[in-house]
Amino acid sequence: MKARLIVAGVLASMLFAAGPGLAQQPVAVNEWQVPFLNCLTGPIASIGAYLQWGAERAAADINQAGGIAGKPVKVTGIDTANDPQKGTVEMARIVKDGLVALGPVPEPVIMAAMPIAVENEMVSMTATTSYEYANKFFPWTVSWFPPISKRLPPVVEAWAKQFSDMKQVVQFIEPYGAWPGMAEAHVPGLKAAGVKVLSPIEVPSDAVTFGPLVVKALDQKPDGIIFACNAEKIAKIVKELKGRGWQKMNHLLVFNSGDDAALYTIGGEDINGVQVYNFINPGLDTPRWNAFKNAYMKDHNGMVPPSLSTHYYDALFMIKEAIEKTGVTGDPKKLKEERKKIADYCANVKDFQGLMFKWDMKDGVPTNKPLYIFEIESGKKKFVREVRPQ
Amino acid sequence: MPLPLYYFLTITAVNLLMSWALYLPYRMGHLHFIVVANMAISGYTAAFMVLSLQLPFWLALLAGFLLGALVGYIVALFIGDAPTFAVVIVGFTFIYITRTVIENTSAVGGTMGLFGLPNVGGSPAAHRWTILAILYGLVFLVGFLIHRFDRSQLGRAASAVFIDKDLTASLGIDIKKMGILLQTFSCTLAGGCGVLYGFIYKSFHLDYFTFHVIGILMTVIFVGGYTTLWGTVLAAPVLYGVPLLFPPEIASWRIVIYGALLILVLVLKPEGFITTRFVHTIGSYWSRKRRQPTLPNRRKENL
Amino acid sequence: MEVFIAQVINGLALGSIYVLLVTGFNLLLLVAMIIHFAYPQVVVFSMYIIWLVLGLTGNNLLLGALAGIASSILLNLISAPLFQKVMEKRAEVDINTTMVLSMGIGMIITDVLSHGFNKGHPIAFPETLAGGEAILRVGLISVLPGQVFSLVVGVVAVSSFFLLLYKTRPGRAFRAIAEDPNGARLVGIPLLRTGLESYALSGLLGGIIALLLSVLLGSASPGLGEQVAHKVLAVSIIAGLGNLVGGLVVGLFLGILEAIVQGYISGTWSNVIAFVVMLVIILAKPNGLFGLKL
Repeated sequence: MKARLIVAGVLASMLFAAGPGLAQQPVAVNEWQVPFLNCLTGPIASIGAYLQWGAERAAADINQAGGIAGKPVKVTGIDTANDPQKGTVEMARIVKDGLVALGPVPEPVIMAAMPIAVENEMVSMTATTSYEYANKFFPWTVSWFPPISKRLPPVVEAWAKQFSDMKQVVQFIEPYGAWPGMAEAHVPGLKAAGVKVLSPIEVPSDAVTFGPLVVKALDQKPDGIIFACNAEKIAKIVKELKGRGWQKMNHLLVFNSGDDAALYTIGGEDINGVQVYNFINPGLDTPRWNAFKNAYMKDHNGMVPPSLSTHYYDALFMIKEAIEKTGVTGDPKKLKEERKKIADYCANVKDFQGLMFKWDMKDGVPTNKPLYIFEIESGKKKFVREVRPQ
Repeated sequence: MPLPLYYFLTITAVNLLMSWALYLPYRMGHLHFIVVANMAISGYTAAFMVLSLQLPFWLALLAGFLLGALVGYIVALFIGDAPTFAVVIVGFTFIYITRTVIENTSAVGGTMGLFGLPNVGGSPAAHRWTILAILYGLVFLVGFLIHRFDRSQLGRAASAVFIDKDLTASLGIDIKKMGILLQTFSCTLAGGCGVLYGFIYKSFHLDYFTFHVIGILMTVIFVGGYTTLWGTVLAAPVLYGVPLLFPPEIASWRIVIYGALLILVLVLKPEGFITTRFVHTIGSYWSRKRRQPTLPNRRKENL
Repeated sequence: MEVFIAQVINGLALGSIYVLLVTGFNLLLLVAMIIHFAYPQVVVFSMYIIWLVLGLTGNNLLLGALAGIASSILLNLISAPLFQKVMEKRAEVDINTTMVLSMGIGMIITDVLSHGFNKGHPIAFPETLAGGEAILRVGLISVLPGQVFSLVVGVVAVSSFFLLLYKTRPGRAFRAIAEDPNGARLVGIPLLRTGLESYALSGLLGGIIALLLSVLLGSASPGLGEQVAHKVLAVSIIAGLGNLVGGLVVGLFLGILEAIVQGYISGTWSNVIAFVVMLVIILAKPNGLFGLKL
């Protein structure tokens, strides 16, 4: 009897010494299913495609490293076709048994479908929308961006202060979602830099030519221009500006939502010198980012990953961390309580190691994410400076 | 009730009611696309009343119907007997006007949209049952009214206008008055639908009311059948529900399937799947079945 | 004054896009009695084919142009029997049925483009096709070669088709089979051959328009056709269905109106103002400013 106790004690010590890696949390699933409500068809299917790519890449990386609590994870793309009618039914299906979800994308579907996630107290990571949308559904989603009133003025101020000859700036604004709000948030930054803000140029959503708008802008004699419209329109406007003699390309600033593949495809060499602000730094040199970047370029004919492509990659890793650190088991009987655990963890996660950098969340808002300013050169972004909002 | 079923039923009801809103003026040959603008106008107004003015939902719903009626009536005074082309342009114009006004009005959320509409009836379950009850109450009421209209002198007059407007006018039918009646009713219905649509989602966003909606409604009417209300009753749930059951690889081609179905039906069955003749055939069959159940026994007696 | 002139030139450039599309739209109306609501989508599809062939052939402009024209003709010939089947019982243009049918075609084209080409991303045409320095630049006034070319081709197309349809025998044959197929058959016009020729002709114009738009816009996206379809229909209705000259005038007028509104009032209200003006016109003159030509 005494010998058996000694052996048991030695075994227990060995287990304890081996640490959590060996004594893994008990898990009630064979595979973690994470549905992703995404726009795989419709007008922004091209964006949905690379968001999906990012999420599936994360799943592959997680599985290669042993999965989540020892079990593999599978991301299933569910097409909402940018249609609230479809998005709501799909979300209604997911909330029945789902532990956690990614998406929805984009804003009209978020608005229609997220109330269902909120009512059923399930986290659905809307990792590509602005704080102003995500905040409405907290704590059942977290925001990937700080409020625009906090994050944008410093970066615009930093941009404007680069150029001592910049006295007045005009903005091109497209009336979509949070973009007018973002343009408004640029204004304090410009004023802080001592720059006069001229009358904005409203860009109709269905504009096909931009001559009239560019003439209107140039008539105000701006020294700089900021773009808050979609990437394709920005590229065409820049071409039009160049065609009318605009030369100071670095006096043109593209907002982060305009930093998309279409800007480079259509802009070509005409956007060389244009500056852009964004949350990711493609010039980062880390093994993890390099692996992601190279894989993306291989699958996309050499195209550099757009900024949003990293968001659902990080979102899935955050979910992994939440599951492992809170001991979530995936047991259907504990669904409600485990969903809450994930929500609470993500809302206030500390030192989350994203693909590019670490950040904290406080009440669902990232507190220390940097912004970067780049200058475009032959389709690539050259680092100019980093801006950390206070 | 399972949530997916709730959303399927409610959205189907809205699609059905909106298809009827398009069906009625189309009985005279008018493609009255202004109904989409009506949805937005009444919906946003009702949301503003509830969120900003703290007025009860029922008042907002009533206001939505009345506003739809008012807009429809005023516009119909000008286009009640206008050519189809003019009615189409009016529809497009109102959709553009509505979208632009909403985009530029911060009181209704502007481009961001309106969030956080409250539950009707207090709890989420009560809200769902209330919305469902209102919608299906409307379906039955409006369906009954349209059924009566189709069988009435007015309905026959509308059919005559569809076939030959000039001849109908020469027979003494006041086309303008009929146009005003149908367009006003259609806009009233659309206004109420707009309010209910937003309360299903508990939010409003401009992209709920785009030209894309016209495509869906046209598909429902023309595939289902535009000569009788039963066509849309069949097409609305099928066209919305069946793609939800597709596997992802096929579901991603949903729009192509809709387009192909629309073309096939127009080419092979231009009046749609359910036609007036089909309805009469079914009706006659049931009448015959009810009238002559004992024929075999009578033959035995005679022998 | 400089700004005003610049905006008028911008308006003419935008208007020339509408003129080109409306001319093709009106041509189909005249030769086949079809309201092809998705005609802009057909043109955009041809733009994609041009882009594809340019990419495969190392920017061979001739092959690209031929491919664009061929694809437009092919699409027209494929859709011809569908429209004819729908129209066979009617002697006059039926906006409802043909519009709905063409909406179905448009839905398919737009979705195929967003699925199957360039992963749904917008496409850009090579600089050699789309570029070119301004031939005139004075302050804010700028005139590009593509703009002049499009406007000239638009005017030439309208004039040529007007002459073809109203002053030549084949043109009269096209109109005859559209307006009264039985009557046309009675006078010995070969229906099938003439019908196919008329569709091929509008396809040819569609291909040319695709090439011109590639030069003028420099890029295309799956939704481009839908963006302009409402305006093309509106311009045609306001001018008078089938009225080629009317389409030219109203198309240019709409372009200038939009440019002036965007330049002096507001970009987002330009559509509203343009459509309200068109609405007022159509209510005052239901058959269009210049009358129907059907």
